[in-house]
Amino acid sequence: MRSNHRLAATLILLALSAAGCAEIQRAGEDIARQSGNPRLAGAIHGVGNVVGSLLPIGYEEEMSIGQAMALQVVARYGGVVDQPELVRYVNLVARAVANTSDRPDIPYRVAILEHDSINAFAAPAGYIFVTRGLLKQIRNEAELAAVLGHEIAHVSQKHILDVIQRSKRLAGVTEAGLSYATSNPAAFKTIIDGAVKKLLDEGLDQEKETEADAVGEVFAARVGYDAEAYVGLLARLRDLKGDDRALFKTHPNFSARIEAVRNTIHSKRLAATGVLLQERFLRMTKRV
Amino acid sequence: MSPPRTLRVALVVLGVGLFAWGAEAWAETIYVQARTAQLRAGKTSLDAVVGNVKFGDALEVVGRDGNWVEVKTSAGAKGWIFANKTASSKPSGTNDTLVKLGQSMRGGDASATTASAGARGLDKASEGYANRAGVSARDRDAVDRMTAYQIPDQEVEEFLREGGLGEYAK
Repeated sequence: MRSNHRLAATLILLALSAAGCAEIQRAGEDIARQSGNPRLAGAIHGVGNVVGSLLPIGYEEEMSIGQAMALQVVARYGGVVDQPELVRYVNLVARAVANTSDRPDIPYRVAILEHDSINAFAAPAGYIFVTRGLLKQIRNEAELAAVLGHEIAHVSQKHILDVIQRSKRLAGVTEAGLSYATSNPAAFKTIIDGAVKKLLDEGLDQEKETEADAVGEVFAARVGYDAEAYVGLLARLRDLKGDDRALFKTHPNFSARIEAVRNTIHSKRLAATGVLLQERFLRMTKRV
Repeated sequence: MSPPRTLRVALVVLGVGLFAWGAEAWAETIYVQARTAQLRAGKTSLDAVVGNVKFGDALEVVGRDGNWVEVKTSAGAKGWIFANKTASSKPSGTNDTLVKLGQSMRGGDASATTASAGARGLDKASEGYANRAGVSARDRDAVDRMTAYQIPDQEVEEFLREGGLGEYAK
């Protein structure tokens, strides 16, 4: 009998998969329950959840994760800079780059973290952060565009969502989607804290950082910013911080990144357009 | 009507049909790879805007010149679009079939905005997280404002124009 239930559940699941409709899934569960078959109802629900968990995370769910991670990033970094003109300028550069990125159909928002360390982060759903310390090191708009392109690439390539999937497994969450966020908030907190730790302390996989450099460089170049600008910034940061991995553990060392970016410029034929917009950058960031 | 004449008419009709089918089959299609984009009457950013298209829209290529592509929309409107706002393959958006299927199976109640948080507000899941993690009111407000932050498209366009970026490149 149990195999019949499984077969029935699978058939119903296939039908509702084809229709893509949660109402059909619920109707199947109701019918099974009303006909005195709670096990079949459970099977339909369970199989639906398992299949749902294998499907890509939707934007609304991504928003919840992004917001929760953003809360922790802001808390850990001591708040955000409250300078409307400066924030608007950084967001305009981000929008300019994001609008012709590979994922232009979601809103991106940038906050400046009130912190002197040199770093930038991206949480899912387009929550991007740059530190005041990093802004102080940047010399022109093209460099800023490349930094923001790198972070937009993390979002467009859904790098953090990969980490979330792993965190869910580590936290023992087999439930699909975000329903556990309200039914089991402790598990949701464990998952978010794990992803934040990875983002801020341990760093993403080096190959993801290299990919974000390459993709972000292409995004910035699409708008017309000088592709060589990013190399200049990375070289200055290398001079400042060195190539010691212990000092800069969240990213590959600068020499490797510079070489990879040069390869991207060459292979993608990105142009040294001369568009740096240094004057506009200095005018807008003079109060950093 | 004699049979040979009928045959001739049939061949002509068949020929016209094949020609039309062939033209359709060979037409190059590109897609809008930008949040929004404008179609212009000519191939410079100074030319008048004759239409607007959005991310993922399919466009039939009529011709190319430098950084600009002359296109025709599915509604038949013609105009020039900046090449960097297009892609040769259909962009994989966030609302593809698999994502919709996943959303429909999972339901979306966890991400509904809480009533107490107001119109923009943190959603239920992240507000619950903020409570558990002891995130301060100041930091919640920062993320709240960040979530609500918007810049009108016209201002982004003006920013590009001032900087000589994108289709406004000098």
